[in-house]
Amino acid sequence: MDALTPTPSPDPAALRLAGNLPEWNPEADDVLIVREIRDETADVKTFVLAPKEPCIFRYAPGQFLTLDLSINGEAINRCYTIASAPTRPHTLAITVKRVPGGPVSNFLHDHVKVGGELRAVGPMGDFSCFTQGTPSPTPRYLFLSGGSGITPLMSMARTFHDLGEPRDLVFVHAARSPDDIIFRSELEMMARNQRGSFRFAPVCEADGPFNPWHGLRGRLNLGLLNHIAPDFKEREIFVCGPSPFMAAVREMLKGAGFDMSRHHEESFDFAELAKAEPDVAADVSIAEAVEAVQDALAPPVASYTIEFAKQKRTIECRSDMFVLDAARRAGVRLPSSCSKGLCGTCKSKVVSGTVDMKHGGGIRQREIDAGMALLCCSKPTSDLVVDR
Amino acid sequence: MLDSTQTPLKALIRRRKPGYSLEAPFYTSPEIFEADMDVIFGRHWIFVGVEPDVPEPGDAMTLDIGKTAVVIVRDDDNEVRAFHNVCRHRGARLVLDYKTTVGNLVCRYHSWTYGLDGKLLFAEHMGQGFDMGCHSLKPIHCRSLEGLIFICLSEEAPADFDVMAAKMAPYLAPHDLKNAKVAFEKDIIEPGNWKLTMENNRECYHCSGNHPELTVPLFAYGFGFAPEELDEHGRKEAEEYAKLVTTSHREWESCGFPSTMMEHLDDMVTGFRTERLPLAGDGESHTNDTKAACKKLLGKINDPKHGALHFWTQPNSWHHFMSDHAVVFSVLPLDAERSLLRTKWLVHKDAVEGVDYDIENLTAVWDATNDQDSTLVGYCQEGARSPAYEPGPYSPHTEMLVDKFCNWYIGRMAEHVGR
Repeated sequence: MDALTPTPSPDPAALRLAGNLPEWNPEADDVLIVREIRDETADVKTFVLAPKEPCIFRYAPGQFLTLDLSINGEAINRCYTIASAPTRPHTLAITVKRVPGGPVSNFLHDHVKVGGELRAVGPMGDFSCFTQGTPSPTPRYLFLSGGSGITPLMSMARTFHDLGEPRDLVFVHAARSPDDIIFRSELEMMARNQRGSFRFAPVCEADGPFNPWHGLRGRLNLGLLNHIAPDFKEREIFVCGPSPFMAAVREMLKGAGFDMSRHHEESFDFAELAKAEPDVAADVSIAEAVEAVQDALAPPVASYTIEFAKQKRTIECRSDMFVLDAARRAGVRLPSSCSKGLCGTCKSKVVSGTVDMKHGGGIRQREIDAGMALLCCSKPTSDLVVDR
Repeated sequence: MLDSTQTPLKALIRRRKPGYSLEAPFYTSPEIFEADMDVIFGRHWIFVGVEPDVPEPGDAMTLDIGKTAVVIVRDDDNEVRAFHNVCRHRGARLVLDYKTTVGNLVCRYHSWTYGLDGKLLFAEHMGQGFDMGCHSLKPIHCRSLEGLIFICLSEEAPADFDVMAAKMAPYLAPHDLKNAKVAFEKDIIEPGNWKLTMENNRECYHCSGNHPELTVPLFAYGFGFAPEELDEHGRKEAEEYAKLVTTSHREWESCGFPSTMMEHLDDMVTGFRTERLPLAGDGESHTNDTKAACKKLLGKINDPKHGALHFWTQPNSWHHFMSDHAVVFSVLPLDAERSLLRTKWLVHKDAVEGVDYDIENLTAVWDATNDQDSTLVGYCQEGARSPAYEPGPYSPHTEMLVDKFCNWYIGRMAEHVGR
């Protein structure tokens, strides 16, 4: 009989489970406490946040939070989509990938500790399958995520999972290598739990340093998509990832004749944000707006074919990637050492095609004139044939 | 320094008889050879090549002076530099090819990478405490005298190089060696001590009996003779030759070609000698027909009849600069009884093989002469091994320069190992 009226635990956590907790209101108190920091991959961390006073978060999965940071005395606002699910309302999590040279991501990775405080406003945004589109009563979804763009889609997938309302959902995630798949084990667990409805399809560009990749390989393209989800045209598609990734997906879907009214992408485009959330937009720094616009204007990244004639191997290489890196990822081994254009170990004859090379003295103009290139510091500007 | 009972070097130096060839151990002893490499080749200016060996930035050339591995490079400022060809990591030889082109200097072994200034630019996996600044390539003194490259391996190089350079530059400049190219080069190994190779070069007593090719363009009288032994015909020829030298010198000097003899073979640390000599026959070049071998003349020379500028340096080189081509020689000792003779024929860099010159014609005289000399040097080397060998007298009329070579050598050795 005593089980019906348990004695309240002295654990302070018990307080957070008390009934009828108020909803978090950033206007009253915008301070969140960092309760946990989880390593997701080598350069991705999740920050689990909770209000100072017990309250709960309400949001649509896919929405974002705007952090209001002070870094080296400078006020910086940055939007992060929420990775956690509103079905677990006591905490909220953002998952942040370290960006080389990025002031905010590096600050979060290096200086924020458990117990620390972050100021935030939100949640906001309308990128959510719970609010968007005109899905049929039993919609089928296709989530396409690239890198840390996985977070809003993860929030949606976690919500369906937690609610016990599985949807016919194909979750495609593009990563550099198996070591870079964020939330891999949890996604695999959800696929096990929702067998038959939830499919998880990671696509890796390359092997990891210690983990060879046996799954789908390459960059997301129509061939791969047809293989993963032949019925993609009948699905509601949600996309989030780096701008070039989203641009490439747009082009791919348009090219395939997809009904773009069923294509939804997360965007931090300042103009759209201003339209949706005029108050918040006013707070977002100009710098961020400029960055967002630049991102939006960045042309989609081209990809070229590189043939290594002697090894009889052909790989793909993005125009923003060094040939040596692309070769490495594809498992093509080339002699190399400094990776800085200094030592010349990777000097190779480019039989046909052109590259953009910024070397560090490891090659002579005469050699360049004779068709040689240092692959470690050359990005392709056309398809290439390399005498290697 | 070396002064064992087997090879009493100091005693040998002390008792050297001027005007006579050296005692046998100077030509045969491995210990004296070691002392030669240390004192002579380790502390004096050694001729090693020409700027056209490394014509463009990034070009490199390797050579060994005894146990010392050297790499010569042309840097991005167009300066010729020399370094020890030894990686500062595990000592691997850095540049392997005789001549090559590099971006930076990179060790094959672990890719340590040096700039052309010798600075270490890249060394992977060496940890945080590793100081790149402490592991630059070791530099070697390197000077170009109008395109002739000399290096000195010792920390302190003889300062009188500048004196030689100042005196010689006007003689060499008109031939503009820097804008020439190596049309052909050839290494031969002479079966003799390096001093025998040098001594052979310093006299033409042996020419008439051994060098049918060389004596076509060269006047026998140019290198001395005993006047009392000449018959009337010979005396007349000698007088005419003397007149020819005088008038030629006057003419050449008037149009900007320093020609008169200058000799410091044994009174300078950096000993040398020069003179511009008339040529026989058509008087143009060191060829079998005495005509220019290359249609395109060197530098701004516009008349092929400018004789042949001879330039001798102690301890290891001699050179002939004609109007159409130059021939440069360096002697690099291999061991006590073998020497590398490296000969390079240079023509104007714009001259085209097969059009402006023919390699066989260009090289015929000195290729044959080198082979003949090599044989003669071998005879001396074999003789020096015989118990019957003893120093013989030099001719006071034709072997003065041999004597001066030996004076210089003994003087320099005495300076460093003591009398």
